[in-house]
Amino acid sequence: MSSMSMAFRSLRRRKMRTVLTVSGIVVGVGMILVLLSLAAGTSVRTTGLLRNLTGAEITVVNSTRPSFGGGGGFGGGSGFGGGRGGGALGFQLLFGTGDPIGQSIANTIGNMSGVYGTSPQLTITGYVNNSTAFFYGVDPNTYSSVTNGINIVNGSMLSSSSESNQIVLESTFAANLNISVGSVVTAGPYANSTELANYTVVGMYSSGTNFGPQTRSAYILLSNAQSISNQTGKVTEIYVKANNPTDVSQITSSIDSSVSGVTAISSSNIANPASTLSNSLTTFFVVIGLVALLAGAFGVINTMMMSISERTREIGTLKAIGARSSQVVKIFLSEALLIGLIGAAVGVFVGILASFALPLFTGSVSASNFGGAGTLFSGGISPSLTLSNILLSLALGTLVGVLAGLYPAWRASRMNPVEALRHV
Amino acid sequence: MSEMALVQTIKVEKRYKRGKIPVPAVNGIDLRIKKGELVGIVGPSGSGKSTLLNLIGGLDRPNNGKVIVDGTDLSQLNDNQLADYRLRKIGFVFQFYNLISTLTALENVELPMNLARAPKSEQEERALKLLETVGLQERVDHMPDQMSGGEQQRVAVARALANNPPVILADEPTGDLDSKSAKSLMDLIKTLRNEKQVTFVLVTHDPIVVAECDRAYAIRDGKITHELSGEELEDAKLSDKYDRAAMDGIY
Repeated sequence: MSSMSMAFRSLRRRKMRTVLTVSGIVVGVGMILVLLSLAAGTSVRTTGLLRNLTGAEITVVNSTRPSFGGGGGFGGGSGFGGGRGGGALGFQLLFGTGDPIGQSIANTIGNMSGVYGTSPQLTITGYVNNSTAFFYGVDPNTYSSVTNGINIVNGSMLSSSSESNQIVLESTFAANLNISVGSVVTAGPYANSTELANYTVVGMYSSGTNFGPQTRSAYILLSNAQSISNQTGKVTEIYVKANNPTDVSQITSSIDSSVSGVTAISSSNIANPASTLSNSLTTFFVVIGLVALLAGAFGVINTMMMSISERTREIGTLKAIGARSSQVVKIFLSEALLIGLIGAAVGVFVGILASFALPLFTGSVSASNFGGAGTLFSGGISPSLTLSNILLSLALGTLVGVLAGLYPAWRASRMNPVEALRHV
Repeated sequence: MSEMALVQTIKVEKRYKRGKIPVPAVNGIDLRIKKGELVGIVGPSGSGKSTLLNLIGGLDRPNNGKVIVDGTDLSQLNDNQLADYRLRKIGFVFQFYNLISTLTALENVELPMNLARAPKSEQEERALKLLETVGLQERVDHMPDQMSGGEQQRVAVARALANNPPVILADEPTGDLDSKSAKSLMDLIKTLRNEKQVTFVLVTHDPIVVAECDRAYAIRDGKITHELSGEELEDAKLSDKYDRAAMDGIY
């Protein structure tokens, strides 16, 4: 008869009380898990939002005549969320495309520490079926992973494996020109020139807006863009992504200081406050959960104290037949541990259910109410369950059970056996 | 010292505080009990007989004097050693059986062996044998509340024997039993004494118990007032000396 099974028997004996006590821990642990998941979800969304806003975290351009090319630029149009892929084309309309820089700089930056990857882009102006357009020449191997890519609504993104001329058109632009996926269009830097070439439309993307210059844009392979504009080995923008968003400002300044002729523009000025916000949300959530767990702990203490006073004679008997104080502690700690363990396990189960259930109740509300800025919570609350948070909640619940059992168990072990035996 | 005493007390004293006034419960008792003896301690309520039993059993420490059991001076033991002493040298039997209510008869008997960290298989084998000895082989898996008082007390005796202690201390073992169960419990105790040479010290004011003892100490106000030999107890059964000496004020 181990002290664990003795503990189990005595918990089973007082079912109602055990259920109520365990419930206290269940609520605490469940709440902690849901809140940790919410915090993790918020943090994932915040980081995702930043990537969305800025495409890449850092844009490297010519320092004397910079380009503010699309794709990765800061969003214009419809609030925060809408700018993706659109870019600050207004700048380009006013200033034209920027002066190019060497494509090899991308490799130089790619080898810097903390850099996840780089993707070069050459932005040029030209014509698609005789309509003016911006061409973004990109490398499909790196573009999506570094900048989050573009929102393909039909067909596919450019493929690096195909040698033929491909083009991805903005969907509104394509609709205006009556072009569908699979069509062949003529495109080139000059209208009506002999340099126009045929391109197959492989896909269409949404710039997220229905008006403005962003709609008149197209993606082609970087090599195409370089050859039709006679700028082999040149790019106008290099997008840079950091391994860790917190390294962005440090990478930005080292690019500025070690690579000449370029300027690195980063989004770190908004990344820092955003991650601070996410951290304080996490702290706030966890504090609420801990308070709930603390209430559960008082429940355990109360139950254990009751149990000990009811079983005073039993404790006296145990000591009389030769149980050491440490063995009495073990018996009662086992009971508290069991309460904590069951409470934590059920609490984690409830927490997982709640994490899945929560978005169902809140989903449609916040997205429309918060407008553009609501991207932070768009799609409502979306908890992110992680194994480490589940284990943490489990451990926390069990620990609370044991800690709450310490004092009652100590009290039990310190009982005078003669007085305990006399207890009726 | 002609024969080695298994249990010996030397001028042992124990005072309790009632409010601020110390009340002597045991006030200088000397006694010697040999191995295999069945000794009664009789006296009215509050005479100090239970306190004396607790001192011998190492549940309580005396204010003065010594308790020496099986060559060990209990005053030399720390709390853990005293717990081990109770575990291995002493078996307790209580008036209200004090079985652990959540454990079966078998598990209750296994408990002291469990505390002594005996091998699991040995625990069960020995517990089964002990339950057979006390005549409860049919009740092995019963919970305490499914057994009669007499049966529970037999489980308690089996539990007291679990770690094979030389001494069993019983405090009013028949106090909650009808006379038939009391008689049969005393038969069991005598059998164990005869067959296993277990030493029994019984605190009681039950004439059925006293009559079966080899000898008895009569206690009043924390002091031994009479020492009754076996012959005297035999005589006492038929005379009113027994009533006056041992059962004074009760019967």
